[in-house]
Amino acid sequence: MQNTSAPAPTHKARTVSRVFSYTFIGIVALILIAFAAVGIAFNIILIEGELDKRLDNVMKLAQTRLPAPLKHLENDIVFSFVETIFLDESIVYTKILRKDQIIIEKKRPGFELKALETSTQASLFLGSKFIVRSSDLDFANSKIGKIRIVVSGESARKQVLWQIYGIVVLIVLITAAIWIFEARTGQLGQSVEEQKALVEISQVVSSNLNVEAVLSGIVQHAVQLSKADAGTIYEFDETEQVFVPRANYGVDTEFIEALRESAHGVGDDTVIGRAVIKRAPEQIPDLEYVADYPLPFVKEAGFRAMLAVPLLREDRLFGGLVLRRKEAGWFSNPVVKLLQTFATQSVVALHNAQLFREIEQKGREIEIANKHKSQFLANMSHELRTPLNAILGYTELILDNIYGDVPEKIQEVLERLGKNGRHLLGLINDVLDLSKIEAGQLTLSLNDYSIGEVVQTVITSVEALAAEKKLGLKVRVPPDLSIARGDEQRIAQVLLNLLGNAIKFTDEGEVRVEVTASDETFLVSVADTGPGLSEADQKIIFDEFQQADDSNTREKGGSGLGLSISKKIVEMHGGRIWVESNVGNGSTFRFTLPVRVERQRDE
Amino acid sequence: MMKKKILVIEDNEDNRRIVRDLLTSAGYEVIEAVTAQEGVTAAETLGPELILMDIQLPDFDGYEATRRIKANPTLNPIPIIAVTSYALSGDDKKAFEAGCDAYVTKPFSPRELLAKIREYLE
Repeated sequence: MQNTSAPAPTHKARTVSRVFSYTFIGIVALILIAFAAVGIAFNIILIEGELDKRLDNVMKLAQTRLPAPLKHLENDIVFSFVETIFLDESIVYTKILRKDQIIIEKKRPGFELKALETSTQASLFLGSKFIVRSSDLDFANSKIGKIRIVVSGESARKQVLWQIYGIVVLIVLITAAIWIFEARTGQLGQSVEEQKALVEISQVVSSNLNVEAVLSGIVQHAVQLSKADAGTIYEFDETEQVFVPRANYGVDTEFIEALRESAHGVGDDTVIGRAVIKRAPEQIPDLEYVADYPLPFVKEAGFRAMLAVPLLREDRLFGGLVLRRKEAGWFSNPVVKLLQTFATQSVVALHNAQLFREIEQKGREIEIANKHKSQFLANMSHELRTPLNAILGYTELILDNIYGDVPEKIQEVLERLGKNGRHLLGLINDVLDLSKIEAGQLTLSLNDYSIGEVVQTVITSVEALAAEKKLGLKVRVPPDLSIARGDEQRIAQVLLNLLGNAIKFTDEGEVRVEVTASDETFLVSVADTGPGLSEADQKIIFDEFQQADDSNTREKGGSGLGLSISKKIVEMHGGRIWVESNVGNGSTFRFTLPVRVERQRDE
Repeated sequence: MMKKKILVIEDNEDNRRIVRDLLTSAGYEVIEAVTAQEGVTAAETLGPELILMDIQLPDFDGYEATRRIKANPTLNPIPIIAVTSYALSGDDKKAFEAGCDAYVTKPFSPRELLAKIREYLE
C-alpha cells in the first residue's frame, strides 16, 4: 500500500521545469524590450538630427536666396521660395519679414497659429511639438529682413510610434511563439511520460502476478500523470457486492481503513457508484457544493475534485479507479482518456490475479483429491488382502493334509486355487505399492545387505518357473562385493519383478542375471532371449498400467504396475533403470544402485 | 512328553484358526488371545514357550505388548515372533526394536511359519 508522504518526483520535476520556462520567457521578453527601447531612442536621435539638418539647409538656402529679392522687392521670388520649401511636409510654418513688415506668413492647415508664433522649442523632445528656427537675413552686411521656420515633429513622432507599435507586436509575437513552443514541448514531454508509464505498467501487468504491486504502480502513475493528489483502485467483491480498496496512493492508512469500512457498492451516491451505473467516467468538480457526500472523510481530508472510471471487461464489473484532487475543478479530457487507459490495464491485472487464484485453488483441490485417491487405494488393497490371506492359508493347510487326506484330483484343483490366489495377491500388492508411493507413504527401510544374497534368494524363488518353461537361468555375481546398504526387501522386489517378466515373456532360450560394481555403484542386468521391445514400447514401458502389447496382458497376466514400481524403488535409492532391446533379439533391463544408500531420495 | 505351548495373539478369527489348525496338527498346544491385553495376561499366567504376535491389534499394538512382556524378567526369555503387515514398511525394524526375536510378513505361508517356529522350539 502507498502512503501519504510518498514522493512524487516526476510531478515536482515538471513543476520546476514549468517555473523555469516562465522565467525564461520573461527574460527573453525583457531583453527584447530593452533592445527595442535602445533602438527607438537611437532612431529618435537620428530623426531629430535629420530634421535639424533639413532646417539648417533650408535656413542656409534662405540666407543665400532671399536677401536679394527682399532688397529688390521681388516678392514673387520670395513667395515661390516659400512654396518650394513647403513641399517638405514637415515644415508647417514660415514667416518672412522685410524690416518689420510681413512679406509672407504661411501655415499648414490644422496647426494653431498662436502656438507656432510663440514656440521657441529648439528640440523635439519631451512633449514638444515643434522645432523653431528664426534668423536675420543680411544683404551686404546689413540686416534686411527676418525668417522664421517651424518644423512639426508630428510625422517623426508618428514614425516613432509606429516603430514602437511594431516592436511591441514583435515582442508579443516572439513571446507567444516561445510560449507555444514550450507548451508543445511540455505536452510532448507529458505524452512521452504517459507512454513510458503505460509501457512500464503493461510490462508489469504481464510479468507480475503480484496484483498488489501492479495496482500500486498503476494508481501511482495515474495520480502523478494527471496531477491529482491521491487515488484508489477498488476491486468489486461480487459476493459482498462492495468495493474493496486494493491499491492506494497519496492517502494514509486511516483513510484507506475508512474506505474499507464504508463498504460502498454499486449505485451508491459515491463518484464510483455513479460511474459504474453510467458505465462511463464520472466527475465531481467540487465537493464543497455536494451536500451529504456518502463518504464525509473524503471532504475532511481536503479533497475537492474527484474523477472515477469503472473497471469493466465484457460487461463484467471488476472495480473502479478513483482520482482525488485538492484543487476544485473539472479534470480535463486528456486526463479522463488517460485514466481510461489505466483502467484497462487495471482490469487486466485484476483479471490475471483472479485467474491465478482460481488455478491455485484448483491445483490444491486436485492435489487433495489425488491424496484421497491414493489413500483410498492403499486402504482398499489392504482390506482386500485380509480375506485373501485366509483363502490362501486354508488352501495350503488342506493341501498339507491337515484336515485329512485329500484325493489327488482335488489336490490338483487346490494347487490351481493357490496359484490364482497368489497371483491375485501379487496384483493387489502392486496396486498397494503404487498407491503408497503416490501418497508419499512408501519409506525405505535402510539396512546393511549383501547383493549376492538378494540375487540368490530371488533366483531360488523363480527357479521352478524357469524350469517349468525349460529356460536356462544363469547368474554371474562377483564373490568379493562389499556389504551394501539399502532396502533389501524392495531391491529384491525389483529383481523379482525383472526376472519374473523375463521368464514370463521368454518362450525359449535363457535368462541371465549379472551384477557388476564400479564407482560405489552396482549395475544389475537381467537379459532374456524373448521377443524384444520396439522403440515406442521402450519409451512407455516404465509408465503405469503399460505393457508392451495389450494381447500379452491377457495371455501372460500382470497388472502392468511392476516396472513402474521398480522404477520408483530404484529412484528412491538414487539409482536409474532402463531397457536395451531390439525386436526379435531379446531385452536387457538394467538398473544402477549406489552401494551405500544412507538417505531416501524423494522427488 | 508334554506338548509345547504356543501363545497366538491375533484378532482375526480366520488367521487364528489357520494357525491353530497348523500348530495343533504339528503337535503343539495352542493358547489363543484376541487382544493385546489378553495376550500379555496369558503370557504372564499360562507360561507359553513361544509367542506369535500380530502387530495390528484392537486395544494397543503388538510392539507395546512385546515391550511389556520382555520387561518382565521371568517372561523375557520366551521367543516372540512378530507377524508384520506387508502394508507398512519399516515394521521389521520396529519389531526388532520392540524386542521381537523374529518376524514373518503377512501373508505368511503356513509351511514357512512352521519352519520358523521349529527354529526356536527344537
